[in-house]
Amino acid sequence: MIIEANDLTRHYIMGESVVRALDGVSFTVNEGEFVGLLGTSGSGKSTLLNLIAGLDRPTEGGLKVFGRNLADMSRHDLALHRRRNVGMIFQSFNLIPTMSARENVTLPLMFAAVAREERERRAEELLASVGLAGRQLHKPNQLSGGEQQRVSIARALANSPSILLADEPTGNLDSKTAHGILELLRELQKAHGKTVLMVTHDQALASHYSERNITLLDGKVLDPVTA
Amino acid sequence: MIFSDTLQLAVRNLREAKLRTALTTLGVAIGIGSLVSMVSLGVGLQEQTVGRFMKSGIFNSITVFPRQPLRNARAFRRAAAPNERGIDKPILPLDDSAIGKMGSIANVREVYPNLRIPVELKYKDFSDFLSAVGVPMSSRGEGVFQTVTYGSFFPDEAGDYCMLSLEVAGRLPESQASHLIGKQIMLTYAAAGPAGAGMAGDILGGMNLQRAERSFKVVGIIDREPGPSFGGGIFSAVMIPLARARGMGVVDLANPQSMLRQLSQKPSYSSLTIRVAHPQDTDDVEKKVREMGFNAFSLNDALQGAKRAFIVLDIILGVIGSIALAVASLGIVNTMVMSILERTREIGVMKAIGGGEGDIRLIFLVESSIIGAMGGVFGLALGWMVGRAINLGANIYIERQGGRAGDLFSIPWWLIAVGVVFSILVSLAAGSYPAGRAARVDPIKALRHD
Repeated sequence: MIIEANDLTRHYIMGESVVRALDGVSFTVNEGEFVGLLGTSGSGKSTLLNLIAGLDRPTEGGLKVFGRNLADMSRHDLALHRRRNVGMIFQSFNLIPTMSARENVTLPLMFAAVAREERERRAEELLASVGLAGRQLHKPNQLSGGEQQRVSIARALANSPSILLADEPTGNLDSKTAHGILELLRELQKAHGKTVLMVTHDQALASHYSERNITLLDGKVLDPVTA
Repeated sequence: MIFSDTLQLAVRNLREAKLRTALTTLGVAIGIGSLVSMVSLGVGLQEQTVGRFMKSGIFNSITVFPRQPLRNARAFRRAAAPNERGIDKPILPLDDSAIGKMGSIANVREVYPNLRIPVELKYKDFSDFLSAVGVPMSSRGEGVFQTVTYGSFFPDEAGDYCMLSLEVAGRLPESQASHLIGKQIMLTYAAAGPAGAGMAGDILGGMNLQRAERSFKVVGIIDREPGPSFGGGIFSAVMIPLARARGMGVVDLANPQSMLRQLSQKPSYSSLTIRVAHPQDTDDVEKKVREMGFNAFSLNDALQGAKRAFIVLDIILGVIGSIALAVASLGIVNTMVMSILERTREIGVMKAIGGGEGDIRLIFLVESSIIGAMGGVFGLALGWMVGRAINLGANIYIERQGGRAGDLFSIPWWLIAVGVVFSILVSLAAGSYPAGRAARVDPIKALRHD
């Protein structure tokens, strides 16, 4: 078990009312699995992904990654968790527009204090492995959507995390490009043993690529049996 | 994160907003420039006034007199300074052994007797009664000897050299005062003869006074600087090396006590000058000299008052100069806050991919300190230029009014260092709030931010 959620709850206070984004979610994910997180918008799937990423903290309940409870971690340890254990892939790519593809990939390595030569070599390797060997010095706005998402996947892989967290990774891509990206994620899971958690609202896409789906509705797991 | 990478990211961020960076830097430069020009004005004015006194050497010298054997003086002194020790000691002569003792007090650079000798100066058909003074070699380049109008200071202390005041030199029968350099003049003075030699002119019960004559080579002519060089002490119509003066066995006629002392063949002096290493040492040394049983006096107290006034002036000028810097630091805060708002999403991304709060805070702190460093350097240049410009204008005016031109603005080395360091510190302080804000950006909100 690489991820273990136990009665995980996340409430937001919005003015006077309390939004129950996650309301007692329990599930486990094993190492090397490709899990789809399904649900309509507002079902809490992105909130769940952010909690696993260590970008947010649960209101209640436990969330263990590699056996360590994220709820008990300091802000500094959460930053280390994001740096070492997880790689994030976003719907809108979130590349830094003023940096080249290679610079974007080296950024997580900078935070990990990897020396310049080493990280440039690694960035080139990673970009080549996602099929962008010839696009190293291009800025994001000189790349297509699919290429940008590949840069972002290379960036997520920079510090060799075990877990890839993808939040609607194909949401801004046409279906052909989307399949290319998902093939890449599946290859990373199959060939490199990465654990992939992918948030999507597209049931068909999820069932095609993921081995197992967790469906959320109003902050609760819809079908606890599959979880 | 490696610091060079932080620096690289900070520089990149500043380059992204060149105009804003340039304007903010200019603001800091104006702030530092105004501070530097104000402080350098304070320093310059101080050097123009107090500094001249300081170089005159009178503030690190102490004049020592023997205690006066006046009636009731002891009671008076006891009343004036009841805690002072040494009051009841017998009156001690200011002789060579006293000089030796004072010379061994800590921080004393030298002790020398003040020898003022009445002389008759003869040159060609000119003759006049003047006063000659013994000048220690250490006075070279100090006080009135900072500039020798014609010729130079004594080459050594043993020779028969003399310097003349320009005023006396002008009266000598020579077409130009400068022609006197290298010429010999004749000095006639009263010297103590061997005791009991019993010659004519015998005064004071057995003490012999002889007319002695000696030829001196004129090596320098000195124009006494007009203005406040009071007590500058060792300036007279004729100046001869102190060692020469002491070797002449002259009688100091200014002090009857010392004349009496000649009877015992133990010369004593009417007053001594003690030179200390720094003006702030005068208090200590003065106290010790008093404990030895002498009277001591220095002008340092007067200087302290002047210095205090200048410290107040410096503070006022500094505060005025700081106003622009305070405004500039608000400019830094504004620039950095703007920059953080613009880059909120970027900060969110950095956090999501593993950037720590410390890393992000440091990037922004480095950014603002780069602005500070650049602003500091440009500000120094600006302050210097402003100082030069005002100085130029002011000196034209001062010279028209018949004054002496001088540097009203002075930028000492410490001000350069302090200017840049202060600029960086102010920028760091100004950047600390925005940097803290950047570090605490909520990544989830930031990633949703457009």
